[in-house]
Amino acid sequence: MEIKLRRNSQIFIIDIEGDMDLYQAYKLKELVAKMIQKNIAYYVINLEKVDYIDSSGVGALLYVHSALKKLKMKLLIANVHGSVKDVINLTQLMDYFNITKDVSAAIQELKPYIT
Amino acid sequence: MAAAQILIDEKNTLFDKTGMFYKKFPSDFRQIRYYTLLIVEKAPAEMKQIYLLEQQISELIKNAVKHGNKSNPEKFVECWFRFEDDMAHLVIQDEGKGFKHLEKWNEFNLERTRCLQERDFDALEQYVSFTSPDSDMTDNGNALFAAVQFWNSGLVFNKKRNAVAVMKKYHHNKPWRHLEDD
Repeated sequence: MEIKLRRNSQIFIIDIEGDMDLYQAYKLKELVAKMIQKNIAYYVINLEKVDYIDSSGVGALLYVHSALKKLKMKLLIANVHGSVKDVINLTQLMDYFNITKDVSAAIQELKPYIT
Repeated sequence: MAAAQILIDEKNTLFDKTGMFYKKFPSDFRQIRYYTLLIVEKAPAEMKQIYLLEQQISELIKNAVKHGNKSNPEKFVECWFRFEDDMAHLVIQDEGKGFKHLEKWNEFNLERTRCLQERDFDALEQYVSFTSPDSDMTDNGNALFAAVQFWNSGLVFNKKRNAVAVMKKYHHNKPWRHLEDD
Protein backbone atom coordinates (compact mmCIF):
# COMPACT_ATOMS: atom_id res chain seq x y z
CA MET A 1 0.00 0.00 0.00
CA GLU A 2 1.41 3.36 -1.11
CA ILE A 3 0.15 6.72 0.08
CA LYS A 4 0.67 9.96 -1.81
CA LEU A 5 -0.41 13.42 -0.76
CA ARG A 6 -1.53 16.25 -2.98
CA ARG A 7 -3.05 19.59 -2.22
CA ASN A 8 -5.79 21.78 -3.67
CA SER A 9 -5.72 25.06 -1.74
CA GLN A 10 -6.50 24.02 1.86
CA ILE A 11 -7.78 20.58 0.89
CA PHE A 12 -5.38 17.64 1.20
CA ILE A 13 -5.98 14.67 -1.03
CA ILE A 14 -4.66 11.34 0.22
CA ASP A 15 -4.24 8.98 -2.73
CA ILE A 16 -3.98 5.37 -1.63
CA GLU A 17 -2.76 2.65 -3.97
CA GLY A 18 -2.71 -1.09 -3.22
CA ASP A 19 -4.16 -3.33 -0.53
CA MET A 20 -5.56 -1.71 2.63
CA ASP A 21 -5.03 -4.85 4.66
CA LEU A 22 -3.97 -6.07 8.07
CA TYR A 23 -0.31 -5.49 7.25
CA GLN A 24 -0.48 -1.98 5.90
CA ALA A 25 -3.66 -0.14 6.85
CA TYR A 26 -2.00 1.40 9.94
CA LYS A 27 -0.03 3.71 7.60
CA LEU A 28 -3.16 5.75 6.96
CA LYS A 29 -3.82 6.18 10.68
CA GLU A 30 -0.23 7.31 11.26
CA LEU A 31 -0.31 9.79 8.41
CA VAL A 32 -3.60 11.40 9.44
CA ALA A 33 -2.48 11.59 13.09
CA LYS A 34 0.53 13.63 11.90
CA MET A 35 -1.63 15.81 9.65
CA ILE A 36 -4.01 16.56 12.53
CA GLN A 37 -1.06 17.84 14.55
CA LYS A 38 -0.38 20.27 11.73
CA ASN A 39 -3.98 21.50 11.98
CA ILE A 40 -4.93 20.38 8.51
CA ALA A 41 -8.72 20.58 8.44
CA TYR A 42 -9.92 19.35 5.03
CA TYR A 43 -9.28 15.82 3.82
CA VAL A 44 -10.18 13.67 0.84
CA ILE A 45 -9.19 10.00 0.92
CA ASN A 46 -9.07 8.73 -2.65
CA LEU A 47 -9.61 4.96 -2.94
CA GLU A 48 -9.55 4.85 -6.76
CA LYS A 49 -6.52 2.54 -6.78
CA VAL A 50 -7.55 0.33 -3.86
CA ASP A 51 -9.01 -3.00 -4.96
CA TYR A 52 -8.74 -4.89 -1.66
CA ILE A 53 -9.73 -3.82 1.82
CA ASP A 54 -10.21 -5.89 4.97
CA SER A 55 -11.42 -5.16 8.51
CA SER A 56 -8.10 -3.45 9.29
CA GLY A 57 -8.60 -1.14 6.31
CA VAL A 58 -12.17 -0.42 7.37
CA GLY A 59 -10.82 0.07 10.91
CA ALA A 60 -8.33 2.66 9.65
CA LEU A 61 -11.12 4.54 7.85
CA LEU A 62 -13.27 4.41 11.01
CA TYR A 63 -10.40 5.69 13.12
CA VAL A 64 -9.70 8.59 10.78
CA HIS A 65 -13.40 9.43 10.37
CA SER A 66 -13.95 9.49 14.11
CA ALA A 67 -10.76 11.41 14.98
CA LEU A 68 -11.52 14.14 12.43
CA LYS A 69 -15.19 14.36 13.40
CA LYS A 70 -14.28 14.97 17.03
CA LEU A 71 -12.06 17.87 15.94
CA LYS A 72 -14.75 19.20 13.59
CA MET A 73 -12.43 18.68 10.64
CA LYS A 74 -13.87 17.56 7.31
CA LEU A 75 -13.27 14.21 5.62
CA LEU A 76 -14.71 12.85 2.40
CA ILE A 77 -13.95 9.43 0.95
CA ALA A 78 -13.89 9.26 -2.85
CA ASN A 79 -13.98 6.50 -5.46
CA VAL A 80 -15.35 3.72 -3.26
CA HIS A 81 -15.79 0.97 -5.82
CA GLY A 82 -15.74 -2.77 -6.51
CA SER A 83 -14.73 -5.00 -3.63
CA VAL A 84 -14.05 -2.02 -1.36
CA LYS A 85 -17.67 -1.00 -1.80
CA ASP A 86 -18.81 -4.59 -1.16
CA VAL A 87 -16.82 -4.81 2.10
CA ILE A 88 -18.09 -1.45 3.40
CA ASN A 89 -21.61 -2.52 2.43
CA LEU A 90 -21.20 -5.68 4.52
CA THR A 91 -20.36 -3.55 7.55
CA GLN A 92 -23.50 -1.46 6.77
CA LEU A 93 -21.45 1.71 7.19
CA MET A 94 -21.89 3.18 3.71
CA ASP A 95 -24.13 5.99 5.06
CA TYR A 96 -22.01 6.49 8.16
CA PHE A 97 -18.96 7.51 6.17
CA ASN A 98 -19.08 10.67 4.06
CA ILE A 99 -18.65 9.23 0.61
CA THR A 100 -18.43 11.15 -2.66
CA LYS A 101 -18.22 9.97 -6.24
CA ASP A 102 -14.72 11.21 -7.05
CA VAL A 103 -12.03 13.67 -6.02
CA SER A 104 -13.38 16.63 -8.01
CA ALA A 105 -16.85 16.14 -6.51
CA ALA A 106 -15.23 16.01 -3.07
CA ILE A 107 -13.37 19.26 -3.66
CA GLN A 108 -16.58 20.96 -4.81
CA GLU A 109 -18.35 19.72 -1.70
CA LEU A 110 -15.61 20.95 0.64
CA LYS A 111 -15.05 24.38 -0.92
CA PRO A 112 -18.02 26.14 0.75
CA TYR A 113 -16.62 25.23 4.18
CA ILE A 114 -13.24 26.85 3.55
CA THR A 115 -13.00 30.30 5.00
CA MET B 1 -33.72 -6.18 10.08
CA ALA B 2 -33.27 -8.32 13.17
CA ALA B 3 -29.84 -8.15 14.76
CA ALA B 4 -27.76 -11.17 13.89
CA GLN B 5 -26.81 -13.26 16.90
CA ILE B 6 -23.78 -15.48 17.15
CA LEU B 7 -24.77 -18.85 18.52
CA ILE B 8 -23.03 -21.65 20.33
CA ASP B 9 -24.28 -24.86 18.75
CA GLU B 10 -21.80 -27.70 18.67
CA LYS B 11 -24.37 -30.12 17.22
CA ASN B 12 -25.03 -27.84 14.25
CA THR B 13 -24.66 -29.65 10.92
CA LEU B 14 -22.11 -27.00 9.89
CA PHE B 15 -19.64 -28.84 12.15
CA ASP B 16 -20.01 -32.00 10.05
CA LYS B 17 -16.62 -32.16 8.31
CA THR B 18 -17.39 -35.09 6.03
CA GLY B 19 -15.81 -34.70 2.61
CA MET B 20 -14.05 -31.44 3.41
CA PHE B 21 -10.48 -30.50 2.53
CA TYR B 22 -8.16 -30.03 5.48
CA LYS B 23 -5.14 -27.81 6.15
CA LYS B 24 -3.25 -26.96 9.31
CA PHE B 25 -1.15 -23.81 9.75
CA PRO B 26 1.19 -22.52 12.46
CA SER B 27 0.04 -19.22 13.98
CA ASP B 28 2.22 -16.87 11.95
CA PHE B 29 0.53 -13.48 11.62
CA ARG B 30 2.63 -12.57 8.56
CA GLN B 31 1.30 -15.57 6.64
CA ILE B 32 -2.44 -15.03 7.15
CA ARG B 33 -3.16 -13.85 3.61
CA TYR B 34 -0.97 -16.60 2.15
CA TYR B 35 -2.79 -19.30 4.15
CA THR B 36 -6.06 -17.83 2.92
CA LEU B 37 -4.93 -18.12 -0.70
CA LEU B 38 -4.07 -21.79 -0.16
CA ILE B 39 -7.69 -22.36 0.87
CA VAL B 40 -9.36 -20.12 -1.72
CA GLU B 41 -7.49 -21.78 -4.59
CA LYS B 42 -9.83 -24.76 -4.09
CA ALA B 43 -12.86 -22.60 -4.87
CA PRO B 44 -14.33 -22.87 -8.39
CA ALA B 45 -12.89 -20.17 -10.66
CA GLU B 46 -16.39 -19.05 -11.64
CA MET B 47 -17.39 -18.39 -8.06
CA LYS B 48 -18.86 -14.91 -7.71
CA GLN B 49 -17.02 -12.20 -5.78
CA ILE B 50 -14.06 -14.40 -5.00
CA TYR B 51 -12.08 -11.47 -3.56
CA LEU B 52 -14.84 -10.97 -0.99
CA LEU B 53 -14.68 -14.66 -0.10
CA GLU B 54 -10.90 -14.35 0.29
CA GLN B 55 -11.28 -11.33 2.54
CA GLN B 56 -13.89 -12.99 4.74
CA ILE B 57 -11.85 -16.18 5.12
CA SER B 58 -8.74 -14.19 6.02
CA GLU B 59 -10.69 -12.50 8.85
CA LEU B 60 -11.57 -15.90 10.33
CA ILE B 61 -7.96 -17.06 10.11
CA LYS B 62 -6.74 -13.79 11.59
CA ASN B 63 -9.09 -14.21 14.55
CA ALA B 64 -7.81 -17.75 15.10
CA VAL B 65 -4.11 -16.78 14.80
CA LYS B 66 -4.30 -13.59 16.82
CA HIS B 67 -7.15 -13.82 19.32
CA GLY B 68 -7.24 -17.61 19.63
CA ASN B 69 -3.60 -18.63 19.52
CA LYS B 70 -2.14 -15.23 20.49
CA SER B 71 0.26 -15.58 17.51
CA ASN B 72 2.08 -18.40 19.29
CA PRO B 73 3.86 -20.29 16.44
CA GLU B 74 3.67 -23.52 18.43
CA LYS B 75 -0.11 -23.39 18.27
CA PHE B 76 -1.94 -24.35 15.10
CA VAL B 77 -4.99 -23.25 13.20
CA GLU B 78 -6.95 -26.11 11.65
CA CYS B 79 -9.11 -25.42 8.61
CA TRP B 80 -11.72 -27.64 7.00
CA PHE B 81 -13.29 -26.33 3.82
CA ARG B 82 -15.41 -27.23 0.83
CA PHE B 83 -16.64 -25.15 -2.07
CA GLU B 84 -19.29 -25.64 -4.71
CA ASP B 85 -20.33 -23.23 -7.46
CA ASP B 86 -22.87 -21.57 -5.20
CA MET B 87 -21.62 -22.45 -1.72
CA ALA B 88 -18.66 -22.04 0.64
CA HIS B 89 -18.45 -23.96 3.92
CA LEU B 90 -15.57 -23.77 6.42
CA VAL B 91 -14.69 -24.80 9.94
CA ILE B 92 -11.77 -22.93 11.54
CA GLN B 93 -10.40 -24.12 14.86
CA ASP B 94 -7.64 -22.75 17.08
CA GLU B 95 -5.97 -23.88 20.30
CA GLY B 96 -7.03 -20.89 22.33
CA LYS B 97 -9.33 -20.45 25.29
CA GLY B 98 -12.34 -19.60 23.16
CA PHE B 99 -14.33 -16.44 22.37
CA LYS B 100 -15.36 -15.55 25.92
CA HIS B 101 -16.89 -12.21 24.98
CA LEU B 102 -19.47 -13.77 22.65
CA GLU B 103 -22.48 -12.72 24.78
CA LYS B 104 -21.11 -9.20 25.09
CA TRP B 105 -20.64 -9.08 21.35
CA ASN B 106 -24.29 -10.08 20.78
CA GLU B 107 -25.48 -7.34 23.14
CA PHE B 108 -23.19 -4.84 21.45
CA ASN B 109 -24.44 -5.83 18.01
CA LEU B 110 -28.04 -5.41 19.15
CA GLU B 111 -27.30 -1.77 20.01
CA ARG B 112 -25.34 -1.30 16.81
CA THR B 113 -28.22 -2.65 14.74
CA ARG B 114 -30.66 -0.36 16.55
CA CYS B 115 -28.51 2.69 15.71
CA LEU B 116 -28.30 1.59 12.07
CA GLN B 117 -32.07 1.12 11.87
CA GLU B 118 -32.74 4.50 13.40
CA ARG B 119 -29.96 6.02 11.27
CA ASP B 120 -28.65 7.56 14.48
CA PHE B 121 -25.06 8.05 13.33
CA ASP B 122 -24.03 10.03 16.41
CA ALA B 123 -25.03 7.16 18.69
CA LEU B 124 -23.52 4.69 16.22
CA GLU B 125 -20.15 6.28 16.95
CA GLN B 126 -20.06 4.21 20.17
CA TYR B 127 -20.79 0.97 18.32
CA VAL B 128 -18.56 0.95 15.25
CA SER B 129 -15.92 -1.21 16.86
CA PHE B 130 -16.22 -3.88 19.51
CA THR B 131 -13.36 -3.91 21.99
CA SER B 132 -12.79 -5.98 25.10
CA PRO B 133 -10.11 -5.94 27.79
CA ASP B 134 -8.24 -8.38 25.53
CA SER B 135 -8.15 -6.01 22.54
CA ASP B 136 -5.02 -4.09 21.65
CA MET B 137 -4.31 -0.96 19.63
CA THR B 138 -4.20 -2.87 16.36
CA ASP B 139 -7.61 -4.51 16.81
CA ASN B 140 -10.34 -3.02 14.72
CA GLY B 141 -13.32 -4.77 16.24
CA ASN B 142 -15.44 -4.60 13.10
CA ALA B 143 -14.71 -7.91 11.34
CA LEU B 144 -17.53 -9.91 12.94
CA PHE B 145 -20.20 -7.38 11.95
CA ALA B 146 -19.34 -8.04 8.32
CA ALA B 147 -18.94 -11.78 8.93
CA VAL B 148 -22.50 -12.25 10.19
CA GLN B 149 -23.74 -10.49 7.06
CA PHE B 150 -21.51 -12.41 4.65
CA TRP B 151 -21.94 -15.95 6.05
CA ASN B 152 -25.64 -15.96 5.25
CA SER B 153 -26.28 -19.62 6.01
CA GLY B 154 -24.79 -19.62 9.46
CA LEU B 155 -21.94 -18.65 11.76
CA VAL B 156 -21.81 -20.86 14.87
CA PHE B 157 -19.27 -21.63 17.56
CA ASN B 158 -18.58 -24.91 19.29
CA LYS B 159 -19.06 -25.30 23.03
CA LYS B 160 -15.44 -24.45 23.83
CA ARG B 161 -15.80 -21.41 21.52
CA ASN B 162 -12.46 -22.06 19.84
CA ALA B 163 -13.97 -23.30 16.56
CA VAL B 164 -16.27 -21.45 14.21
CA ALA B 165 -18.30 -23.03 11.41
CA VAL B 166 -19.59 -20.82 8.61
CA MET B 167 -21.52 -21.20 5.39
CA LYS B 168 -22.23 -18.84 2.52
CA LYS B 169 -24.79 -19.62 -0.19
CA TYR B 170 -24.79 -17.55 -3.33
CA HIS B 171 -28.09 -18.48 -4.93
CA HIS B 172 -30.30 -16.48 -2.62
CA ASN B 173 -29.97 -13.00 -1.27
CA LYS B 174 -31.58 -13.57 2.06
CA PRO B 175 -29.85 -11.63 4.78
CA TRP B 176 -28.15 -13.68 7.42
CA ARG B 177 -30.68 -14.71 9.99
CA HIS B 178 -30.96 -16.09 13.42
CA LEU B 179 -30.53 -19.82 12.98
CA GLU B 180 -33.51 -20.53 15.21
CA ASP B 181 -35.71 -18.98 12.54
CA ASP B 182 -34.92 -21.79 10.12
